[in-house]
Parts: sequence; C-alpha cells; structure tokens
Amino acid sequence: MLDSIATIGRFGNFSGRIAARIMRRPLFLNEVVAQMWTTTIRCLLPVIAVTFPFGMVMALQGLEIFRLFGAERMLASLISIATLREISPVLASVLVAAQGGASCAASLGAMRIKEELDATEVMAVDAIKYHVVPRVLALTIACPLLNIAGSVSGVAGGYFTAVFVKGESGGIFMAELWSFMGPMDIWGGLIKTTVFGLAIGLISCYHGYRASGGAAGVGKAVNDTVVHSVVAFITLNYFLTSALFGSVSP
Amino acid sequence: MTSVLAGIGHYGLWLREFIGATARHGMPKGQMMAEAFKIGIKSLPILLIISGFVGTNLALQGYNAFKPLGGQRLVGMFVALAGVRELAPIIAAAMIAAKAGTEMASQIGVMKIREQIDALEVMAVNPLAYLIAPRLVGILLMLPALTTLAIFTMLTTAYMVSVHQLGLSGHEFLQFAEEAIQPIDFFYGAVKAVIFGAIICTISCYFGFNCGKGPEGVGQATNRAVVTSSVICIVLNYFVSELLYGGAL
Repeated sequence: MLDSIATIGRFGNFSGRIAARIMRRPLFLNEVVAQMWTTTIRCLLPVIAVTFPFGMVMALQGLEIFRLFGAERMLASLISIATLREISPVLASVLVAAQGGASCAASLGAMRIKEELDATEVMAVDAIKYHVVPRVLALTIACPLLNIAGSVSGVAGGYFTAVFVKGESGGIFMAELWSFMGPMDIWGGLIKTTVFGLAIGLISCYHGYRASGGAAGVGKAVNDTVVHSVVAFITLNYFLTSALFGSVSP
Repeated sequence: MTSVLAGIGHYGLWLREFIGATARHGMPKGQMMAEAFKIGIKSLPILLIISGFVGTNLALQGYNAFKPLGGQRLVGMFVALAGVRELAPIIAAAMIAAKAGTEMASQIGVMKIREQIDALEVMAVNPLAYLIAPRLVGILLMLPALTTLAIFTMLTTAYMVSVHQLGLSGHEFLQFAEEAIQPIDFFYGAVKAVIFGAIICTISCYFGFNCGKGPEGVGQATNRAVVTSSVICIVLNYFVSELLYGGAL
C-alpha cells in the first residue's frame, strides 16, 4: 500500500521533471518529428485493423435491435456517434498503448539496461530532455491523429456491413450519418485522445526510464506500461465523457 | 507483406509442433492450477476496474444517444446488449492479452535468452509441452469466468450511473436489460472467451519462443504479442458474432 503511494509520488516527480524540460530551450524538434512519424506509422495499421471490424460488429448488432422497431434508418447515426465519441478514442488509445507505448518503454528500458542513458548523461546531454521528452510529445500528438484514422475506418466498417453484407441502402446510410452529430462530438474525441496520449507517453516513459534487472526488467516494464496506461485512460475516460458530453442529471 | 505471410506459416508450423508435443508427452501435473491462479487472480482487479468504467461509459453514451429521441428508457437494453454480447468478451480478452499475455511472452522470452529452454531440452523435458500446455489450460479455464465477471461488473456500474447520475428509473433499467438478454448470451460469451483465450496464449507464447537477442528482443516480443493478439481477437470477434448472432445458426 505504502509502496503504491510512493510510486504515485515518483511518477508525479518524473512528470514534473518532464514538464520543466518542455518549457526550457532547446527542444529537440527533429527527434520529436522522427518519433511521431515512427509511432504513427507503426500504430496506423493496428488501429485500422481494430476499428474497422468493430464498426462492422456495431452495424451487425445495431441492425438487429433497430429491425425490432423498424428503425433501420437510425443505424448510421448510432454508428457515427458511438464511433466518434467512444469506440474510436478508446480502441485507438488501447492500440497506441499496446504498440506505441510498449515499444517506447521497451526501447527506453533497453537503453537503461545497456547503460546508454548513463552514457548520454556522461556526455553532458540531458537524457530526459533528449530521449524522454520527444517520446512523450510524439505520443501526445500521434494519439489524436490515429483517432481520426480510427473514426474514419470505424464508420467505413459500419458502412461495409450495413450496405454490402446486410443489404441496407447506402444512400440512406450516408444521409443519416451526420444527423445527430455536433461539432463537439469531433472535438470531444480529439481532446480525449490528446489527454490519453499524454497519459500513455508519461506512463510508458516512466516505466522504461526506471527499468532495472536485465532483460526480465524490460519485459516487466512493457507489461506494466500496457496495463497501467489502459487502466489510467479508461478511468479518465469516464470523467472526460461526463465533462465533455454533459451527462449529469439536473 | 511476405514477412507477414512467412510469420503466419511459421506460427502454423509451431502450433502443429506444440500440439504434437503435448499429445506425445502430456501435461506436467500440478502446474495447471498454478497457472490458472496466476492468470485469473492477478488479472482480476484490473479487469474489474476496466469493465466497471466501460459500463459507466456505456450508460452515459447510451443516454446521450437515445435522449434526442426520447428513448432514455432504452438505456438498460442498450447496456445489456452491447455489454453482454460484444464489449465484455472483447474487454476481457484485451485485458488478459495486456496482462497475462505480455507476462507469458516476457517470461518465455527471458527463459529463451537465458538458455533455460535449451536446458529443459537437455534434461529431456519437452519445453513446448512443459511450458505452454499448462498456460493454455489455465487461460481456457479462467477467461470464460473472467468474462462473466466483467459482464456483471459492467451491468452494475451502468446501473449505478443510470440511477444515481442520470436519474433514470432503476426498475425500468432492470426490466429492459432483462428483456434484451437471454441466458444463451452468457454461453456465447463463454464460447468467444475460449476462442480468444486460445489465440492470446498461443500467440504470446509463440512470440516468446521466437524472441530475439538481449533486452530489446524481450521488449519487442512482448510488444508484438499484445498487439498481434488483440488485433486478431477483435477481427475474429466480427466473424464469431456474425456466426452466433447474425442469423446463420
């Protein structure tokens, strides 16, 4: 119990050090862009591969319910709202945590085990500034970008099942797509994923930076990263949803 | 692209070797329950937290989606259908892949690079049958149970949010939820869980057995294990759902 409180304190301290480094020049922008590019490219395929089938499942199950009421028209607006608000932000972030966060923890952990981080410090380069800050920023920026890709592919998956498998009308699907949608739905998803990306970046770098105990330590860091970041952003998700989409009873 | 196809072929061959080895050598006794305990009990708190918060969000978003139509009463039905049929099996599988799957991959990967697996072979113990078979049985026993627990947690938190945060009637919630799900849905959830469990275990152990050199190798194997197994589970989920609920049966 005391240990987990101490961990929270260490995590806060680490986040504070990162925040202080972001404020101070120089910011290694090239490193940020390179990290962002690799994260986005590596996560893109998994994110699309996950949201597309999920859109298909939503269409499958949604049609079954709406057919009971004879309201098949509603399907498209249900899919677009569910995808943009919840499914895509959460699934994209799960995959960013599993792919981007885990590989970030693995590479930082390997650097720590091989004493490359110490070597960086010896060369009078701030290891947090050079290795950690770019990764945190990259994950924070990549997560909303991947959310956009995930939203598009989720809606496309719904369209695919509804129109090509279940034989609904494609024109009605497209016409109803935006009927319940507001600008807040799009912004809400982006705000959420930015926060989730920040959480994933901080947690993965924390575990990678503090890895110890050889190869097993790297494995443990990756494991802890995925588990802790998923728990963190699913918990955050509830509060963000309540705040952004305003569902508190009067 | 070719490397992906080669990977699939390699995985298939490895799976055949594993099944053959287990059929020949049998499973070590006593390991199975220990693995089941490790997988089930250690993943339980995380699974409960995650499925609880997924339930709260289902209720919030269901309320938001149905409110413009004046159908707030349908929240119970929405939560029950979406939660029981799709989200609980998927969330349980993703969490087990993230917790137990990564642990399997990193443990076996560490054994591999420390040459402990070679040591097992030298002692005339088949590493595939000795290391993987108990893990597979453990996950197959635990995942359906964890899925069922996830369903109940999800429904409980969704009920609490609907009644206390959104001010809906609890009686109506339960009534609509009860109408929406059949007992057979729990069985289908367990079927999904068994399929996902087999996939998570074999893929994580496959990446562990084929892990590269040094700490990076273990990190990469762990990373690939969780991504590959969760992607394959979600893709397969569509086909299983189509088969179970799409009117094909």
